[in-house]
Amino acid sequence: MTELIDRPPLADQPPSPTAELLRVRELGVAFGERVAVRGVDFALGAGESLGIVGESGSGKSTTALALLRMLPPGGRITGGAVELDGQDLAALPEEALRAVRGQRIAMVFQDPMSSLNPVLSVGRQLDEALRAHGGRRPRAERAARAAELLELVGVPKAADRLGDFPHQFSGGQRQRIMIALALAHDAQVLVADEPTTALDPTVQRQILRLLARINRERGTALVVISHDLGVIAETCSRLLVMRDGEVVERGATARLLTAPEHAYTRSLLAAVPRLDAPSRAAGNSTPGAEPLLVVRGLAKAYGPRRRRSPALESVDLDLHPGETLGLVGESGSGKSTLARALVGAHAPDAGSISFAGQPLDGRRARREVQMVFQDPYASLNPRLTVGRIIAEPLIAHKVGDRAQRQARVAELLEQVGLEASAAARSPREFSGGQRQRIGIARALAPEPSVLVCDEPVSALDVSIQAQVIDLLARLQRELGLAVLFIAHDLAVVRQVSHRIAVLHRGRIVESGPADRVVTSPEHPYTAELLAAVPSLSPATSGSLL
Amino acid sequence: MTTISLPPAARSRSGNRSRNRYVAGLRTWRGVTGLVLVGTVALAGLLAPWLTGADPDAQGPQALAAPSGAHPLGTDDIGRDLLSRVLHGILTDLSIILTAVPAGALTGAALALLAGTSRAADLVVQRLFDLVLSFPGLILGLAVTAILGPGRWPVVIIIALAEVPYFGRQLRAGVLVQREREYALAARVGGAGRARVLLRHVLPNAVDPLVVQGAVALSAGVFIEGALSFLGLGVRPPEPTLGSLISGSVAYLDTHPVLAAPLAVTTALVLGFTLLAEALNRGART
Repeated sequence: MTELIDRPPLADQPPSPTAELLRVRELGVAFGERVAVRGVDFALGAGESLGIVGESGSGKSTTALALLRMLPPGGRITGGAVELDGQDLAALPEEALRAVRGQRIAMVFQDPMSSLNPVLSVGRQLDEALRAHGGRRPRAERAARAAELLELVGVPKAADRLGDFPHQFSGGQRQRIMIALALAHDAQVLVADEPTTALDPTVQRQILRLLARINRERGTALVVISHDLGVIAETCSRLLVMRDGEVVERGATARLLTAPEHAYTRSLLAAVPRLDAPSRAAGNSTPGAEPLLVVRGLAKAYGPRRRRSPALESVDLDLHPGETLGLVGESGSGKSTLARALVGAHAPDAGSISFAGQPLDGRRARREVQMVFQDPYASLNPRLTVGRIIAEPLIAHKVGDRAQRQARVAELLEQVGLEASAAARSPREFSGGQRQRIGIARALAPEPSVLVCDEPVSALDVSIQAQVIDLLARLQRELGLAVLFIAHDLAVVRQVSHRIAVLHRGRIVESGPADRVVTSPEHPYTAELLAAVPSLSPATSGSLL
Repeated sequence: MTTISLPPAARSRSGNRSRNRYVAGLRTWRGVTGLVLVGTVALAGLLAPWLTGADPDAQGPQALAAPSGAHPLGTDDIGRDLLSRVLHGILTDLSIILTAVPAGALTGAALALLAGTSRAADLVVQRLFDLVLSFPGLILGLAVTAILGPGRWPVVIIIALAEVPYFGRQLRAGVLVQREREYALAARVGGAGRARVLLRHVLPNAVDPLVVQGAVALSAGVFIEGALSFLGLGVRPPEPTLGSLISGSVAYLDTHPVLAAPLAVTTALVLGFTLLAEALNRGART
């Protein structure tokens, strides 16, 4: 990433002299009858940064959207004020509000893949943003400004890339372009809603650095919303902890991390997996000596015959019974391809997978190797009841009659910590964590000896994450399962794994005991991954600022 | 993570959300108007034997009579009771489209599922759809009647054939989307065979758009029947259909405006089905 040229802010008008650039008073938001946000109150001066942290349903995103009055249909501001430089945005007519949005207060969204228009060149999109507020600048000047913006956000060779389309940029670069769009008019306040959640850790770090730099160098006030305390701790000087639509605690980041006052903040902090905590896997089970699953030279490529792009180059892997092998790697490293090859969802191009000394064929794979999916919403068929979803593998393997299957489903539900009565309900009625339990029960149904977990907790809140991890550990203890735990979060992986393997561009670049890989990585890529993990230690709070 | 969670009330009753959305769609002014139009016309057709005692095919002494007590809508050019002919015509039309559209939908769906089984099958099925779609509707009708001759069954076959690609393409698109969802992979990993994944998991999640297509197809069915009969390629006289009634009345419309009744009924039926399709479509999208 090209570090930025030092130059003074471009603002045509000097930043507001008031200390309180953005003042939110007793903000309330409701969807229909349901109150989503109540009594949120904070002030933000020019050049300040504020982090809003909370779990899903805490109202943090709703608060962010309410700042710009861009609530989804059904949502409305029920009370309070959002004052930008003394002007109440909550009471402003729509027409006047449009002049403020993008020009004085701008927003960056979570998903850089879908937030850019795929059929317009990046230059065109920047040009449109520049024209949006009626500034009649000549075309050449706008083009120069667009290039300048791209350069500001660290896109290399910015002037040459204006004609490129979004798909020609990587995910991280697209998020940079989104930030450039938001900065088109030198907004005084930049609201970033989960700006790095969809990105890899190393890219996440770059984007956070960029946001911090913009905040520092241009005096743009920054509001960062995230579920990840680590992300916020390093970029924001002040924190707001939200729960159930209310602010439960506020204060300087360093103070909140060292001496949280509210019980919820304490439990939130306790639930965050720490990279410096040693692996707990050894206390959980002792792996057998003979490997159960042996993978040799596995390769898989996608795409048309002429231009195949390899997802897996050549992967060697051993998994012992009762062992948890953590597999880490960034998106595109081939993690999911490997997982799908192991469960027999697609055939590899080359290489072998053997199970207990014999080649693993499709039939055997479907009984012995089962999978827990990342997305607890997409991986359960919405048309079936929970009981049917769990019974499906039993029906497919022709296990027992109806009554026996029913009994087994009840048993499985209890095993994963749900009531047996859940069987009659629709998966929609359950929360993310509960759905993940249902997914685990389904995976356990055919009595597998290997569980492939593809990012099983990355879509869950930290407190729920801890519960699901505990459940997986208990199941391993009780059933002697071998677990392949695929994740991008190194702290979680270290905590649960006996061994860690690092996958990079389709190859395992390093593998070894979990604690060793984290404390003294041998491969430079592993070291890079480790360096990118956001830290919660108070010593590094605000370190990016 | 950052999505705004649904209110709990909506979540708990969302068990059969898709059905509720269609019902909600039908409760709009479009839906109600469509239901009233289609319902009135269909009911009139179904109650034909009780609404009129006159034989639709019996020729009377008076041609082109004005409306009177015996003939509420008057008579046609060869003295048959117009009301009776319109009511029985509705019945014929309904029986044709209610056979043809489900047949077309089932065939289209079966072909779409077949396309889901392998890449080669997909190619064949798609080209088959292209082939049918490449014929303009009337040319297709002419071709089929050239082979089978005019009559009730050729009309049914033509309507079904014309609708097959629409149902098939729509379901194929749905299958392609749903097949890549994680729950389909989960079913496969759980040991379900291809057919089971396709029929038990993918299909139920992909059929929703066909409801709207069904209403569109019904209106298209009325239209095709009308066009074929108008050209004399449809159901054989003297059996009345809406199309043949329009065809027979055109020549006298300027002197006997009451002969526009079949046209009005056909318009009401097509408009009703179109409104229903639109209402269902809007309901599904909200």
